[in-house]
Amino acid sequence: MSNWSAYRHLTMGQLRLFARNRQMLFFTMLFPILMMVGLGSLIGGGSSISLHGYVINEDGGAASGELAAALLAVESLGMEAADDRNAALEDLRNGDTQLVVIVPAGYGDAVSAGDAGIEVFYDEKNMTVSQLGVQMVSGVVDGVSKQITGYVPAVTVEASPVESLELRYIDFLVPGIVAMMIMSTNLNGVAGQISSWRERGVLRRMQSTTLSAGTFIAAQITARLVLNGLQAVIVLLIASLVFGTQVNGSWLLLLFYIVLGTLVFMSIGFIIAGTAKTPESAGPIAGLISFPLMFLGNVFFPVQDMPGFLQPLVQALPIVHLSDAMRSVMNAGAGLFELVTPTLVLLGWLVAAFALASRTFRWE
Amino acid sequence: MEQEAIIEAQGLVKRYGSFSAVNGVSFQVRRGEVFGLLGPNGAGKTTTMEMIEGLRKPDEGRALVAGFDTVTQLDRVKAVIGVQLQSTSLFDLLTVREITEMYASFYKKSVPVGPLLESVNLTEKAKDRVKHLSGGQKQRLAVALALVNDPVAVFLDEPTTGLDPQARRSLWEIVLRLKEQGKTIVLSTHYMDEAHVLCDRICLMDQGKVIALDTPEQLIYNLGADQTIEFQLPAFAEMERERQEQVRAVLRTVPAVTRVEERQEGFVLYAGDLQSALTGLVAAANENGLLLERLSTRTATLEDVFIQMTGRSLRE
Repeated sequence: MSNWSAYRHLTMGQLRLFARNRQMLFFTMLFPILMMVGLGSLIGGGSSISLHGYVINEDGGAASGELAAALLAVESLGMEAADDRNAALEDLRNGDTQLVVIVPAGYGDAVSAGDAGIEVFYDEKNMTVSQLGVQMVSGVVDGVSKQITGYVPAVTVEASPVESLELRYIDFLVPGIVAMMIMSTNLNGVAGQISSWRERGVLRRMQSTTLSAGTFIAAQITARLVLNGLQAVIVLLIASLVFGTQVNGSWLLLLFYIVLGTLVFMSIGFIIAGTAKTPESAGPIAGLISFPLMFLGNVFFPVQDMPGFLQPLVQALPIVHLSDAMRSVMNAGAGLFELVTPTLVLLGWLVAAFALASRTFRWE
Repeated sequence: MEQEAIIEAQGLVKRYGSFSAVNGVSFQVRRGEVFGLLGPNGAGKTTTMEMIEGLRKPDEGRALVAGFDTVTQLDRVKAVIGVQLQSTSLFDLLTVREITEMYASFYKKSVPVGPLLESVNLTEKAKDRVKHLSGGQKQRLAVALALVNDPVAVFLDEPTTGLDPQARRSLWEIVLRLKEQGKTIVLSTHYMDEAHVLCDRICLMDQGKVIALDTPEQLIYNLGADQTIEFQLPAFAEMERERQEQVRAVLRTVPAVTRVEERQEGFVLYAGDLQSALTGLVAAANENGLLLERLSTRTATLEDVFIQMTGRSLRE
């Protein structure tokens, strides 16, 4: 079967081109990794951040005293004992402190009943710092809880607002970086490569053989999926080694979104390559599209933070939903059913972009 | 026609806007011959070839290869032709062998890669990346790729343009070897010597049209005079118009001269009988007090044929 053989040879050929184009590989990997390591250690890293918080013991029993003492004993938390709940919360609102931990009245009795809870308030604007605090508080409480019951958790941290149960900034950042990498290697890569092949007559030469456009495109897709899969794994590995990020959800689902994202952005790349007036303009057009998408795209900061008038636009962007889906899988361990919206939006983009790409594809 | 026609161009027309790049080109190529399209840049050679290869749709007329229509039966055509495009670049980072195997995989039927590379003298370069090949080697690789499916007809579009003389000769040898193997070859060029050495028949093209089609020998013979005498008259440019006319008349009446041409580099006289013409020219020059400089004689070439038919040089 010549189609199968052509597909295999073209896929291998493209992978060889990737592997031998060291410069391209280096820069497509370097940028995301630098971004991640740079932003990650600047904002989301960890050890040098100083915290301040209040512990308010409203119970006054033995169990609550023990917990409060444990919290106060953690040096890096910078906790201070206080009495007035309202004054402490006022300080939090003013940004004078980042955490308020309240051991409510009746805590002692609740511990005996095996159903105790504490309240943690934090400044959601200063997410990184306060989340770190919440995690540390959580750790302390976990320890105390285990002491009380012998490894059966009896005390749980109730963090509010629950909205940002998320973790550190780096955990937010890494899935965004992977999404951004998928977007830029495919959008820019496909648009640049295909249009340059067209300009140099590489495609025309292939057109004069019995090779079908379908086989050619299938091989392109396969090779790019392999490349993107590897790139994503490398970024995730570095993130895991340097920052200890994890994939809480299914790897398979994560892979599904890597594939989906690759296909969407490849199709868009093909459209650009097919419609650019001159081959030289395809690269810059792709850059012009992908650059703002990097900032509007839920990559570095949440789209919720963007002005309202931008929301309709932002909510329609594939990169937003790709970042969102990957983040939900990695951080919250979300399953496919919780990700219906991003999945549908991405599939919609794929269908539309693929249809347009196959209409605009030209060998010459 | 005694031999079977393997390629037929029938009234091919290709327009770009109001400009006709090819304007009613018809010819037949016989099985096993080397058929040359000779003409200056912009004559329509490449467009004509690409319509026969199925890469461009003719606006009018049609082309058949091995009996298949290049528009309606394109896949059948592609399977039996091999193409070397004028300015193909290949994947720079793949090796010669990798690219050849890749192109072989595009066809249902292909020849073994080893002997193919051997036939274009690239065996030693098989493991080298395309990036590191010389111009001549790249062009030989392009020819190898055109042969990978064991085609009936091979199209070579200006295969030696930009190559040094040695690389050109090496490519000529390959083309002649292919001819010995019975391949039909359509070759475009703007080098008259190349057309003369390689081609069985030549289709002379200018401004989108066929202006002559015959064997190289017959084309030159048709000039009516296959010897030329070239010389300069250093004082000619400074002469008065009347005197210039006189000189022209003198030259025209030299015995055995059939045609006089004024070119930038001097005068060219065409003659059937070189000896009579030369003696006559020298006598006429002496009589009229003309000084002949840089006098030389040669056999007429395809270039002369082209100039006679168009009034312009091939290189213009």
